[in-house]
Amino acid sequence: MDRTEPPRTADLPLYKLPPVFETRLANGLTILLVMDRRFPMVSARLGFQCGSKFDPAELAGLSETTGALLTEGTATRSSRQIAEEVAAIGGTLRADSSPDSLLLAASALAENLPALLDLIADVTRNANFPEDEVALRKENRKQELIAQRSEAGFWADEKFLESVYSPHPYSRQDPTPESIDRLERGALAGFKDCHLAPNHAVFVLLGALPDQQQTLEMIAARFGDWAKRDTPAAPAARFPEPRRTIVLVDRPGSVQADIRIGRVAVTRSDPDYFPLLVGNTILGGAAASRLFSNIREKQGYAYDAHSSLAPLKDSGSFSVITQVRNEVLAPAIEALVAEMEAIAAQDVSAEELATAQNYLSGGFVIRIETQDGLASQLAAVKLLGLPVEYMEKYTQRVRSVEPGQIRAAARKYIRPDRASIVVVGDASAIGRNLEGIGSVSVVKAE
Amino acid sequence: MTELQIPIEKYTLPNGMRVILSADHSVPVATVYIIYGAGARAEEEGRTGFAHLFEHMMFQGSENAPKGTHFRMVESNGGSLNGSTHPDYTDYFEVLPSNKLAVGLWLEADRMRALAINQENLDNQKEAVKQERRLSFDNQPYATAIVDRWPQLAYRNWQNSHSLIGSFEDLNAATVEDVARFFRTYYAPNNAVLVISGDIQIPEARLLVERYFGEIPPQPRPDPPDLTEPPQPAPRAEVYRDRLARVPAVLIGYPGPARRTPDFNAMVMLDLLLTGGDSSRFQQNLVKGTKSVIQYEANLGWPFAGPSDYKDPGVYAMMLLYNPAFRGDQILAQVEEEIAKLRKDGVDQKELERQRAYLRSSRIRQLETSRSRAALLGKYELLDGRPEYINTELGDFLAVGPGEIHAAAAKYLDPKRRTVLDIVPAEEQ
Repeated sequence: MDRTEPPRTADLPLYKLPPVFETRLANGLTILLVMDRRFPMVSARLGFQCGSKFDPAELAGLSETTGALLTEGTATRSSRQIAEEVAAIGGTLRADSSPDSLLLAASALAENLPALLDLIADVTRNANFPEDEVALRKENRKQELIAQRSEAGFWADEKFLESVYSPHPYSRQDPTPESIDRLERGALAGFKDCHLAPNHAVFVLLGALPDQQQTLEMIAARFGDWAKRDTPAAPAARFPEPRRTIVLVDRPGSVQADIRIGRVAVTRSDPDYFPLLVGNTILGGAAASRLFSNIREKQGYAYDAHSSLAPLKDSGSFSVITQVRNEVLAPAIEALVAEMEAIAAQDVSAEELATAQNYLSGGFVIRIETQDGLASQLAAVKLLGLPVEYMEKYTQRVRSVEPGQIRAAARKYIRPDRASIVVVGDASAIGRNLEGIGSVSVVKAE
Repeated sequence: MTELQIPIEKYTLPNGMRVILSADHSVPVATVYIIYGAGARAEEEGRTGFAHLFEHMMFQGSENAPKGTHFRMVESNGGSLNGSTHPDYTDYFEVLPSNKLAVGLWLEADRMRALAINQENLDNQKEAVKQERRLSFDNQPYATAIVDRWPQLAYRNWQNSHSLIGSFEDLNAATVEDVARFFRTYYAPNNAVLVISGDIQIPEARLLVERYFGEIPPQPRPDPPDLTEPPQPAPRAEVYRDRLARVPAVLIGYPGPARRTPDFNAMVMLDLLLTGGDSSRFQQNLVKGTKSVIQYEANLGWPFAGPSDYKDPGVYAMMLLYNPAFRGDQILAQVEEEIAKLRKDGVDQKELERQRAYLRSSRIRQLETSRSRAALLGKYELLDGRPEYINTELGDFLAVGPGEIHAAAAKYLDPKRRTVLDIVPAEEQ
């Protein structure tokens, strides 16, 4: 046996999605069922098309706070009763908002499916936003915000989104203390009544379910009489032309400089999406990537050096992300920019391409190893308006990407000449290092 | 409801390496997990951060897999990987599509047999670790207090109290000789447990293990470090001024029980009653009731461990982020009032049933992935010599009754033996 040679193995298997049954109630509620009896659990997702992009600027945090309060009291259950009932069924129940959607995630021991469905229906349909719960949530959210603002990465992400998306609501990562103060009970109830409509929702249920007919009857009994209604249109998908801006967030005492470089990119439905996805993986999306091996392993500038493609429903962003010691800020930015230029200038190698394609394909299967993973993916795909088959075709589309397509997409979306640069660090230590790059606007991290 | 049973096939190679195989064919994914009995608590004075620095060295190449190969080979075969350093062990994993199992085993065996230890790799990884320290600790609120200060306050024995991430001075002092010696001592097959779980064929897996690991020579077993902790005669308290924090937090800890004793099981349930989920007493009484606590976390072994890898001597500890309208001593008083209530009034049967259901479902979720099954099997073999705990410990936890919880609260959560670190934003000085 030759131990010096790596083992030969067969090609990666093609991924087969477990059967997904899709239907729709008369009121327009889309339902996805997946039978998965490996574990005696059930997982559910109820998603609505009403994320933070619907928040009026002066009420930033409206969607998020509405979601947080859904599980804090209904017409018939107090916050405490909800918490106790959830624990008693071996469950989880929480709603979170993202830029595009508000998603309720829930699970329970399979034997408690009826009780879980009762709870999901009650909190989404009958949440009543008790005054004291609203007040507590607002107070604690303000404190959380203060805590978040003590983290360099939080500032970097916030200013990056501002640079890329402003004035679109995608530019607002988080609420402000003032906008939180303005979130009254009436506004939260109004947001729920306005946006939580069955005809703009998707319900995913999977796990050790009873037979399909019985499961559907259980769902219909709790959601069938929920009246459909029109919901407001999303804000216009208009985004600024990308241009070079440099923002320095002054955070006195920072021992590192936190860097973001990037720009507006594409949605998942864009023809450039898959080439860009594979290109991003080669540039900085994995440990075998160029940024990792150059910025971290070769230059030793940083512990973390990666790139990220963040597609949203109406747009998306691309960015490179790293944190470097103050002394090497200028050469690190130079090295990042050089890598961004290189992937737009030359074709990637066949080996890099195969590595990235296999990494993405394998990672996709690993992510859906759990019920929660599969439920989340299905809900996400449907909320983006994509068909379930998107998941099955994902691997195939990743594998069909060619080097020329990556270069073309990188020229459009990765090339750094029109990218925004955000640096968070101690201005007294690093300010001068940035001056050579262009005109810098400085904001205080307060 | 019948509880899940995870299959376990355990054997030992002639070189002393313990192997656990656990087959489950529901998803075409397999995990290679290897855990070494080499943690930060085994470090020597002047060599803090060594276990972690060494974990970095494990990704710098080996005889037949030169630098960069490990990442590339795992990812090009559709897998993911990582390693992590803990107080009592260091572990590594590769999660792969199941027909790529041989790749993970080959890579792990090559670096166990012949790691590339040289000056260039060492210098480079010293820098990476320093960068990691700046990123994850020195530039983060609370982190330095938790990682550097808290252990010094909670423990007296240097083995337990020194910084796990290490100091820049000690990292700078590490030589190639030191690293090579550490490798020989701790990264020997007889100081490791290999677990393969997921969609595997047992005969094929056995063959691959024998082929790749069978000829790696064993080494004399290292002496286990003396972790003995002197009894704590009086409470300890300190204020930490954090220049990056903006919201105050308090850390509270109590010396915990010996692992796998009835008291250990009782403390797991006690923690669940106090802090497990939204119906827990802390959530309902401190976040909701007094509206003083904003967020909290707690665990047997916090911040570096939980019940799965808590090893005595250890501390049951918690961190509470609180509203600045309160003071740290008030939060401490509220926490101790919750503990006093438990000691005085005991536990309501309905509340206990609820938390048992919560625990049961959390456990099922934990067993869903081949990676977390492998990690539990490996830890229970290394720490307990009994991987079967993966199937039996839930029963032990669920069998704990109100009386035992009540007794554990009295025995362990004793104000006379507590340690408190109040973290206040430095600007309030």
